Amino acid sequence: MSEENKIATTATQLGLSLDVWAVITAFLLAILVRVGILKHVPW
Amino acid sequence: MATSIALPNQQAQNPLANIIRFLPGVLLLAVIGFAGKVIEQSINGYAKAHHLVIPNIEYVLWAIAIGLLIANTVTIPKVFLPGIATYEFWLKAGIVLLGARFVVGDVLKLGGISIALVILEISGSLLLMTFLGRVFKLKPKLTSLLAIGSAVCGVSAIIAAKGAIDADDEDSSFAIAAILALGAIALVTFPLIGHAMHMSDNSFGLWSGLAVDNTAEATAAGALYSDVAGKIAVLAKTTRNATIGFVVLGYAIYWASRGQAEKVKNKGAFLWNKFPKFVLGFLVISLLVSVHVFNKEQVGALANLSRWAFLLTFAGVGLRTNFRDMSKQGIRPFIVGALGEILIAVLTLGLVVGANAIWKL
Repeated sequence: MSEENKIATTATQLGLSLDVWAVITAFLLAILVRVGILKHVPW
Repeated sequence: MATSIALPNQQAQNPLANIIRFLPGVLLLAVIGFAGKVIEQSINGYAKAHHLVIPNIEYVLWAIAIGLLIANTVTIPKVFLPGIATYEFWLKAGIVLLGARFVVGDVLKLGGISIALVILEISGSLLLMTFLGRVFKLKPKLTSLLAIGSAVCGVSAIIAAKGAIDADDEDSSFAIAAILALGAIALVTFPLIGHAMHMSDNSFGLWSGLAVDNTAEATAAGALYSDVAGKIAVLAKTTRNATIGFVVLGYAIYWASRGQAEKVKNKGAFLWNKFPKFVLGFLVISLLVSVHVFNKEQVGALANLSRWAFLLTFAGVGLRTNFRDMSKQGIRPFIVGALGEILIAVLTLGLVVGANAIWKL
């Protein structure tokens, strides 16, 4: 648990909550896909 | 000498240095998750080449199993711990990207059904856990934490409620251990019950999302059943997560009225603070896909990015489940949690069967 708390603290040190950073990361990836920088993501 | 003392301190406060600390653990998550995927593909390839009929065991189970094996047999070096704990970050990013696999119509239809069932599930769970807590003479605040954890969203809800109702560290550790242990059991039992009952992917996903407490375990339980069940489980669980602020606020007001917690000054700010923002991210991506901002290939790319994020999450679920640590927390909260979870699983199964009869899920 303490490690998870540290991550939340680090996220807050960067000015936003962990939730918001996760949303921003996902949106950035979506933008990269939309503009064609990430063209094919294999699975 | 002064410099050598100051440097670690500066490093600890430097967010970028903290981010670098996460790399070894994130790499470990990636290696374990990818190993799970390779094992699944290898077994399927072998079975196909030799014309064998072997039931497909999803990469999800392999990733969790490898993680569990490591966490419960060796001491994980400290250098990996910060990165392992990022599994929740990947889970949330994965949920946002999963929005690409839902058009708004699906969200409204299944989300509407989910909201109706979630209200019934939360009411039943809170009443049930409160009753069991009193019967087993658990401390009232521990009972509140277990009720919130089982009704809404596991560990996140307990952490959110801990500060709001001014609960002890010991109580929240008890509640978290019980919820995590029961989540690990649900991972094994839910898919077996689902297959035994020949549940449809939609029904099983809805059941997992309603009954399994922690978001990571609910997602994993759904994905263990099928890919479609996994995405429906996330939708139902996300609907549940969205109620966290209201439930925690209710408990905060209750404990404040008894003089055992601080009063909530601004209820609107409290609700926004507790609201899981990734739910909004999920809806935004779903909306953008629905209005064709992304073409078909791009939607496929977003869906696969979501799968990669979940792959890291599932490895983390296994790695952070340490049965020895959980057993140290005592048996009574676990018994209350287990009894409550069994009854909640039966209640939600009844709700899903009823919903299936009405709406043909």
